[in-house]
Amino acid sequence: MKRIGVFVCWCGTNIANTVNIEAVTEAAGKMPGVVYAGNYKYMCSEIGQSKIKSAIIREKLDRFVVASCSPRMHESTFRKTAAAAGLNPYLVEIANIREHCSWVHKNKGEATAKAIALIRAAVAKAARDKELWATQIPVEHRALVIGGGIGGIQAALDIADAGFEVDLVERTPSIGGHMAQLDKTFPTLDCSACILTPKMGEAASHPKITLYTYSEVEKVDGYVGNFEATIRKKARSVDLEKCTGCGICWEKCPSRVKSEFDEALSMRKAIYIPFPQAVPNVPVIDRASCRWFTREKCGICRKTCPAGAVNFDQEDEVLQKKYGAIVVATGFDVLDLDDFGEYSYGKHPDVLTSLEFERILNSSGPTGGRLLRPSNQSPPKNVVFIQCVGSRDKSRGKPYCSKICCMYSAKHVILFKEKYPEAQAYVFYIDIRTAGKDFEEFHRRAVEEYGALYLKGSAGKVFPDGDKLLVKGVDSLSGHALEIEADMVVLATAIKAKSDAPQLARLLGISTDTHAFFMEAHPKLRPVEAHTAGIFLAGACQGPKDIPETVSQASGAAAKAIVLLSKENLLSDPCVSEVNESLCTGCLACIKVCPYSAITEKTIEEKIHGKALQRRVAEVNVALCQGCGSCTVSCRPGAVNLKGFTNEQIMAEVDAICL
Amino acid sequence: MSVNLKQGPFEPLIIAFCCNWCSYAGGDLAGTGRMTYPANVRVIRVPCSSCVSSNFILRAFQRGADGVVVAGCHPGDCHYTSGNYFARRRFLLLQRFLEFLGMEPERFQVHWISASEGNRFAAVMTETTEKIRALGPNRKLRDTR
Amino acid sequence: MKQLSERIKEAAFGSLSSGQVEMVIGWQKGPLWWQSFPAFITDPGETASLIWDPFSVSNLNKYLLNEVPKKKIALFLKGCDALGFNQLLRDGRVEREKVLLFGIPCDGLVDPARVEATGLSKGLLQVKKEREELVFYYKEGQRKAPARDFYYSKCLSCRYPNPVTCDEMLGEAVPCQPLERFANVSKLEAASLEERFTYWSRHFSRCIRCFACRNVCPACSCRECIFDIAEPRWLGKAKESGETLFYHITRAYHVAGRCVDCGECARICPLGIPLAELNRKFIKDINELYGEYDAGADLDKEAPLLTFKSDDPDVSA
Repeated sequence: MKRIGVFVCWCGTNIANTVNIEAVTEAAGKMPGVVYAGNYKYMCSEIGQSKIKSAIIREKLDRFVVASCSPRMHESTFRKTAAAAGLNPYLVEIANIREHCSWVHKNKGEATAKAIALIRAAVAKAARDKELWATQIPVEHRALVIGGGIGGIQAALDIADAGFEVDLVERTPSIGGHMAQLDKTFPTLDCSACILTPKMGEAASHPKITLYTYSEVEKVDGYVGNFEATIRKKARSVDLEKCTGCGICWEKCPSRVKSEFDEALSMRKAIYIPFPQAVPNVPVIDRASCRWFTREKCGICRKTCPAGAVNFDQEDEVLQKKYGAIVVATGFDVLDLDDFGEYSYGKHPDVLTSLEFERILNSSGPTGGRLLRPSNQSPPKNVVFIQCVGSRDKSRGKPYCSKICCMYSAKHVILFKEKYPEAQAYVFYIDIRTAGKDFEEFHRRAVEEYGALYLKGSAGKVFPDGDKLLVKGVDSLSGHALEIEADMVVLATAIKAKSDAPQLARLLGISTDTHAFFMEAHPKLRPVEAHTAGIFLAGACQGPKDIPETVSQASGAAAKAIVLLSKENLLSDPCVSEVNESLCTGCLACIKVCPYSAITEKTIEEKIHGKALQRRVAEVNVALCQGCGSCTVSCRPGAVNLKGFTNEQIMAEVDAICL
Repeated sequence: MSVNLKQGPFEPLIIAFCCNWCSYAGGDLAGTGRMTYPANVRVIRVPCSSCVSSNFILRAFQRGADGVVVAGCHPGDCHYTSGNYFARRRFLLLQRFLEFLGMEPERFQVHWISASEGNRFAAVMTETTEKIRALGPNRKLRDTR
Repeated sequence: MKQLSERIKEAAFGSLSSGQVEMVIGWQKGPLWWQSFPAFITDPGETASLIWDPFSVSNLNKYLLNEVPKKKIALFLKGCDALGFNQLLRDGRVEREKVLLFGIPCDGLVDPARVEATGLSKGLLQVKKEREELVFYYKEGQRKAPARDFYYSKCLSCRYPNPVTCDEMLGEAVPCQPLERFANVSKLEAASLEERFTYWSRHFSRCIRCFACRNVCPACSCRECIFDIAEPRWLGKAKESGETLFYHITRAYHVAGRCVDCGECARICPLGIPLAELNRKFIKDINELYGEYDAGADLDKEAPLLTFKSDDPDVSA
């Protein structure tokens, strides 16, 4: 038989004025399993708590109920009291007879009857409480950062500076990401490379950071504190150690292909570094376009390499490493404009996306920074910028705002006008959104100092007209139809999630929103964490962001990762789900409703009629479970149960409270 | 059946399952703000509205509840992100099913009450009690023993 | 029908004698005209006793749950059975590699009660189906009547007469001409609350809690059913209207979004409780609220109660 104690708190007059304490104490004393019931003015005070402790010892209580204020207020207090008296802290239940009773009811008889019912439910629950213990989970003190753009670099640097080892995995041959493609950055117009390359160098030379460029994460197992990742280092065909980055190989290489870094506006070689400041400054051989690999001829790079670094036989290397935390910073893609035929993009060389325009502006870009019309290399006089191409467009593009376009278009206007002060910039926009420090001022400069003509309305069609482009649009403020003869048209193309983001999400066990951006654990309060404990998000992979936001989130994610990595062990909340394997049918409905990917399937073997039978059951990872209990309801036979809120307990509460 | 005084007018018994993070906290706030509502309402605390099984709801009716309320975070605000979305489907189907069997729809209600909506908590509980009082006792799903 | 019977025997014999399967589950004729029972055959020599006739109504696939085969088990699936098989597969209760499925196109099976109701059962020895007609054999001769007049109501609203899954189809596909399956649900929905309550309490008052509706159901495949579990005791043992209601609500709720609408629950009920209408209420609501979903057929869609949309209809009053 259980030995339950009930301690009724007066809370001064807060409870005692409305609830008949003596009547409640007397009723509690008669409840099943209750061997002691007492009351005191302030149960949470030192004296109150010592009364509980001495009653535990004197009455040999094995669990107790405190009838007092909300458990949200003092449950942890009384759990500590229990622990101090040698009881497991999870053998305590609270009956909320203040917030949910004495404070909201006026009739003393009714309030007293209700208080008794609430205590009866708490007693019934307490009778079914079991000792629970927090599990200790050891932590691997190393972080994995996926994605080597500015977000990933920042996160890696912050974590490494805190003294933890970081592996930074980047899919392309160099770290740097989209920021490396940019010419200047808004709203300060610093040269992007000037602020990025020192960070790239710092990451490369940091003693705690290991760069894995031209590498991909293939598999992630494990859970918070104990992830195990499989990383494929694709064969560079160039020895990272031997190569000096002299550049002879790519000068001599006879194969030319479109440069990804230059948005296909220039050609690169088959052996190449994506851009001059690449880190590491070691080329890779793009085997698909290399003559040696496609036709087994050539081999010039190997012949000419003074360091003997070119190695055609190099193979992919697969690493398995353990990590305590993972930061995902995989960035974004630009929307494909196939569905936007009206802008003549892809049909006329002078219609560009903003990112292509950025490359043309860039002094290390395909034109060496000379802003000329791609069609005839002449200086443009009129440039039309079209905003929201694919953004805020439910039917063909994305319903969301890409967030950075208003600002980079203002930047483009300014940079364009700096080069050609006599020229004219037109900007078609839906709304101008400049919420950010110094953003509105920057935009106003584009309008006021640089005389850009901002036209609220849509540009409906762009078509070639002689050697010009005719832009037809509407100025919705005046209602006039407009026709602008342009030399170039720049499309502020929507940002979208990486096309393979859903695959990475599956690999990591995190979720994506309807647009395939990674989901944060809570949109307001946990914006840098993924649902899955130990995985953090940084940058545009979580939603459109500019550089300062990406860097802030990266540092936030890093701080969260550092908090995790600095612990020797993680203590998991013991109020988690558990599976009764003998009841589990293996339908795995629980996996589908778990927001934390905390449930997996496992195969168990059992003997039935002497035959060994293998069957699948669900298994809860206590490190990942957050104790919501959704799985318990999805389980028809009740094989999944939430400790601290078991089916038996809630049922007993229902029975008791209805009495 | 303690609320149901053996003699005297009918007093309904309302069981409210409240999620710990929003609705239970909303109930606490109603208390802090001394917003009164009828003592007919008794709250059972659960982690999430998605943790409330139809078994508990039916059990409450069997054991004498005249009305059952499940209260959780507003959709989109679930502490566990998606729990109340699953709950919303489960309970809408259950609600329509009970009605199909001839149960008065008012007897089983679902409300989204945030931690800041103490006044709403009190209003919902008052309104529910009055509705059920007008309906009279639950005879349909109750154990007759 | 004759031809199908032959093909069943051949398929059973072939798969057993080749050693491809270790057991065949099919139907055998019982002593009376309406009896066609499940049969478990391991000896190729016995396959000749297998039949297919207008009474081969038992769904065979739940018997798989009792077996731990070393090799495969062969069984025959009608359209409705195939849906149930898919549900068992989805619930992880059967292994696809452990079964050899022979599909049987079936345009409907005969409800013995309907034969009895017409008085045709007196002295009846055997019933055979010939094309669209039933032939009733008596000592003194035979009579014929349109087959569809005698079909189970579940067959009249059948939407999948041809199995949606199998390894080999025996016989030609049959046309599908289902009656509106939600007609009764809609009719009840239009009735008043009190009418509905009276309707269902009268039906439920007859329930003897034999659990046949659960036992026959391909969506009810838990190792241990919630109704059998002693601790906690979810369902009381007493013959008590509240408990009976709990049983029926919970049974239907547990198969919501999983019920393949095979109609077996209602077919098997010895007290004639229209149990399928309970399931169909859920199916109808799910279709209306969350988009059409056909358990057992829509294999690429997530079960409606295991997913959600952020803009689902609200439940809050």
